[in-house]
Amino acid sequence: MKYGLFEPRKIGEMAPATKVVLYTLLLAWSLFVIFPIYWLVITSFKTPAAVNEGPFFIPWVDFKPSLHAWRDLFVYDLADTMRAYFNSVVIAFSATVLSVFVGSLAAYSLSRIEFAPNLITILYFVLLLIGASVAIGVYGADLWLTLAIVVAMFFLLARAVGRLYSVRLKNGDILFWIISQRILAPIVVVVPIYMMFQSVRLLDTHLALILTYAVVNLPIVVWLMFDFFNSIPRDLEESAQLDGATMIMTFREVVMPLSRTGLAATTLLVMIFSWNEYLFALFISTSKAQTLPILVAAMNAGERGILWWTMSVAIIIMIIPVVALAVVLQKYISKGLLVGAVKG
Amino acid sequence: MNAETTDLSVAAKGISIREFNKYYGAFHALKNMSLEVSPGEFLVLLGPSGCGKSTALRMIAGLESITSGTLMIGDQDVSQVLPKYRDIAMVFQSYALYPHKTVGENIGFPLKVAKTPKAEMDAAILAAAEQVELETLLDRLPGQLSGGQRQRVALARAIIRRPSVFLMDEPLSNLDAKLRGNMRAELKHMQNSLGITTIYVTHDQIEAMTLAHRVAIMKDGELQQLGTPKEVYSNPENLFVAGFMGSPPMNFVEGAIANGVFTADGVSLPTNQLSDLSKVTLGFRPEDCTVVEKGQGQLDAQVFTLEMTGDQSLVTFRSGDKSMVVKMPKDFEIEPASYAGIAFDASHACFFDTDSGQRLRPS
Amino acid sequence: MGRLFLTPAVVLILVFSIFPLIASLVMAFTRIRFTGGGFKVRYVAWRNFDKQFFGSEQFHLLGTFGPLSILAWVVGLAATLGLFWWLYRYCRTHFTVVGFIGRLITFAMALFLAWLFAATLLSGRQFGTVGTTLFYVVVGCGLQFLIGTALAFACSQHIRGSRAFRVIFFVPMMITPIGVGYIFRMLADTSKGPFANVWQWAGLGDWSWATDPWAARIFITIADSWQWIPFVFIMMLAGFESVSKDLNEAAEIDGAGKWMTFREIIWPQVLPIAATVMLIRVIEAFKIVDLPNIMTAGGPGIATESVSLQSYYAWRSLDLGSASAIAYILLFITVVICVSFFNLVVLARVRAKP
Ligand SMILES: Nc1ncnc2c1ncn2[C@@H]1O[C@H](COP(=O)(O)OP(=O)(O)O)[C@@H](O)[C@H]1O
Ligand SMILES: [Mg+2]
Repeated sequence: MKYGLFEPRKIGEMAPATKVVLYTLLLAWSLFVIFPIYWLVITSFKTPAAVNEGPFFIPWVDFKPSLHAWRDLFVYDLADTMRAYFNSVVIAFSATVLSVFVGSLAAYSLSRIEFAPNLITILYFVLLLIGASVAIGVYGADLWLTLAIVVAMFFLLARAVGRLYSVRLKNGDILFWIISQRILAPIVVVVPIYMMFQSVRLLDTHLALILTYAVVNLPIVVWLMFDFFNSIPRDLEESAQLDGATMIMTFREVVMPLSRTGLAATTLLVMIFSWNEYLFALFISTSKAQTLPILVAAMNAGERGILWWTMSVAIIIMIIPVVALAVVLQKYISKGLLVGAVKG
Repeated sequence: MNAETTDLSVAAKGISIREFNKYYGAFHALKNMSLEVSPGEFLVLLGPSGCGKSTALRMIAGLESITSGTLMIGDQDVSQVLPKYRDIAMVFQSYALYPHKTVGENIGFPLKVAKTPKAEMDAAILAAAEQVELETLLDRLPGQLSGGQRQRVALARAIIRRPSVFLMDEPLSNLDAKLRGNMRAELKHMQNSLGITTIYVTHDQIEAMTLAHRVAIMKDGELQQLGTPKEVYSNPENLFVAGFMGSPPMNFVEGAIANGVFTADGVSLPTNQLSDLSKVTLGFRPEDCTVVEKGQGQLDAQVFTLEMTGDQSLVTFRSGDKSMVVKMPKDFEIEPASYAGIAFDASHACFFDTDSGQRLRPS
Repeated sequence: MGRLFLTPAVVLILVFSIFPLIASLVMAFTRIRFTGGGFKVRYVAWRNFDKQFFGSEQFHLLGTFGPLSILAWVVGLAATLGLFWWLYRYCRTHFTVVGFIGRLITFAMALFLAWLFAATLLSGRQFGTVGTTLFYVVVGCGLQFLIGTALAFACSQHIRGSRAFRVIFFVPMMITPIGVGYIFRMLADTSKGPFANVWQWAGLGDWSWATDPWAARIFITIADSWQWIPFVFIMMLAGFESVSKDLNEAAEIDGAGKWMTFREIIWPQVLPIAATVMLIRVIEAFKIVDLPNIMTAGGPGIATESVSLQSYYAWRSLDLGSASAIAYILLFITVVICVSFFNLVVLARVRAKP
């Protein structure tokens, strides 16, 4: 019997040609992924001379590895490094917790309860906000006074306006609205957010970045967790409710433990995005709340050009924790994302 | 309809399985299985779940490699041949219908792969669909069908290519009881009219008894007995087969044979020239015995329950931790907890070596 | 009770994205002048947008215009005809008012982009940040999708070491974009980088990729792909692994080869996932700012500047009105393209799934 090039010669095995193609592809890509990281690592052990005098590839053979860049960062600039590290840890961690918590609550209620907000009331609110922005921005009205007026106007007239017309939104619309926030490029909102924090004197604080990152990542959390909650059978909760549990108890005791994979994937994703974010940090943190990406970028500012060696060290210490986390949680990521992705 | 039926049938091929072995790592899933299936035969692989039936079937299909042994289909050695060149069709337990293709596209897929011209393909799809009475549902997606209909799509997809061998892995196990009965009859009819050699895997002995020309009973990867349903039922080769076939299963009494006579507590039965053995099990079918007055039968026991199944009454006896069941006519009455005798036809009794499980035969 | 669960999320989003969005809109119609201690705000109507589309910044945002070349006319007219035909066919088959308005917006955007493309690139002139951003989106996402899907499919086969491959392939996604930018700058250094010898040997000598617009753009695309292929990879891998093994085997028995099985059985089932993954990637790709900022600072000239980056530079020069106007233009283009993609591609695929 004659076989095609891509037909296996034996049952349960791969055709030799297929094997060659697959392994070539996978190995080539592994090389492409690993080489930049390898270069990063060896650069961190090079002296300025070893970097500047041309490409050297293999430590001990081509060049003599030196710890001088590591010393620079961990001995001379220890305070700066540790502060940036500490800031990044606190901010990424808090933002992730906040985002996952708030987002899961929202996703859960969206997957279990029918909401029917009135579009007209919402439009009315948005119009009030526009009015307030114009008043504050263009005519220099007092911030707090205007806000107070907006809130008062809203609560006084919301019902009346809502009665005039009623266009009910569905849960799907709310969900779509939340998820679509992801379309917003940071650049669109960053300037007003900057001014907002400035006016309440929160610029360059942890809280400002935590809040910002939490909100920026909310759409991801809501999207992934909504699909995850939807995939959990309702009977379990219903039986818990029959046993007399409140909604909060059901959520904590039944739903949360069942959605562990989804939570792990979501948490990791949000953590990565918060840890690596640069643009918001650039605007909002100037010195005290500086995060690691800013520290890395700052290596470019010296008069001696880019300090490649110390920058490499900074990038390495920055990626070690996330990579470790990702390797440990890798299994959950594909499983957790799967639910969201497969459901579309 | 009849014209198409003959049209679809092909020259059936026999299958010969020689010393099949399958290892999953160190686990010996299939042990030295040899089996000849003659052309046009309906052979059922029967056994409890996990005994290696699917493994054997998948090896025949070419989905699983054969660790050692040979497989012949017709007069060709196909042990190393890819599934698509084996000229087989398979029906999966999950039906494995392509969810994004319509019923018609599902049925026609094997022909599409073979680059059959469109007109010819459409005619074949219609013919196959008519065979399983699906011709009105050709444009539906599998998701919009009931379980029985999906089952039929899977069947149609199998018959459209006119393979020389059909392989079916528990095709009816996902249907409810009533539908299963109907589909069983249809399957039997279809196999009969097409005359295609079929190997059918099930753990349900009723399916095996009703469908098979011959049944192969398996346990722990080993073939236990091969024979017609009648043979394996009335003439079990060993204790496992005896206990597996029949519902309720055969009654067993443990004892010994001395001087050609079987004795257990309260039982004494002449055997047909069996040699002496210290551990022997006597087996007799519930329908081969009757309940009689205490002391009148071969053995006495206490009545445990009386169950009415409509067409008959099942009397369960209990003595120690052993129980025995006797089938009686439907209007039979007896007081629970009373003592009664059991009388059976000694010529239908079987004797087994308790240790090896093998049937004892006159030397 | 349920409201209590939803409210925090809604309030946070209102405060941090709806309010800034509105404030940004207001700013886009004003000019803010910083004086001594405070600043002065003046309403300037459409002046900020006018400057970007027709005024002194036109070359920056859209590109340099001039007489159209023959090729530009051909492509532009062909695109126009094609779009009209598409709209006409929609009207003839299943017309609804909402659907028509939506398609009209898509139509207008596509027409605008097609002529923009024809008038700049195809007529041999430089295009602006909109063109550059679209280049990153189309070429970058396309590349990432192809390679990511291929890798995912390879890894979903029974391959020795597939676990290790998964972990390795996943890593670049973890690295901060800033880091990726600097790493690739190191790699691409033509005199001290690892490929310097190859570069010299190929006779490229002093010629630097950073001075060639296309080389620089492609280079940024490669870095971006290096970082984001892992995302496509992991999502598509999950998709491929969700295809039931039985279906594969059924296809094998039905006689289909590897390619046929992929095309007929596997691909149609992962298509909804593929569409979703693409949507997410496209949304994110429109925001690209870190890489061009770090790797080329938008240069040479404005060749690698994305719209986001242009807005950032405007902000840095304290032109808040322009910064907001540019950001809004980006938002508008993104929304139109992503919503069109979602409605016309993703929803159609998801709905088609039984
Ligand atoms: N791919 C596999 N790897 C390891 N063990 C397997 C595999 N497939 C089946 N087995 C084992 O082989 C035995 C027989 O399985 P199977 O043929 O599926 O049984 P069944 O008779 O229920 O169809 C089982 O014990 C099962 O655990
Ligand atoms: Mg099985």
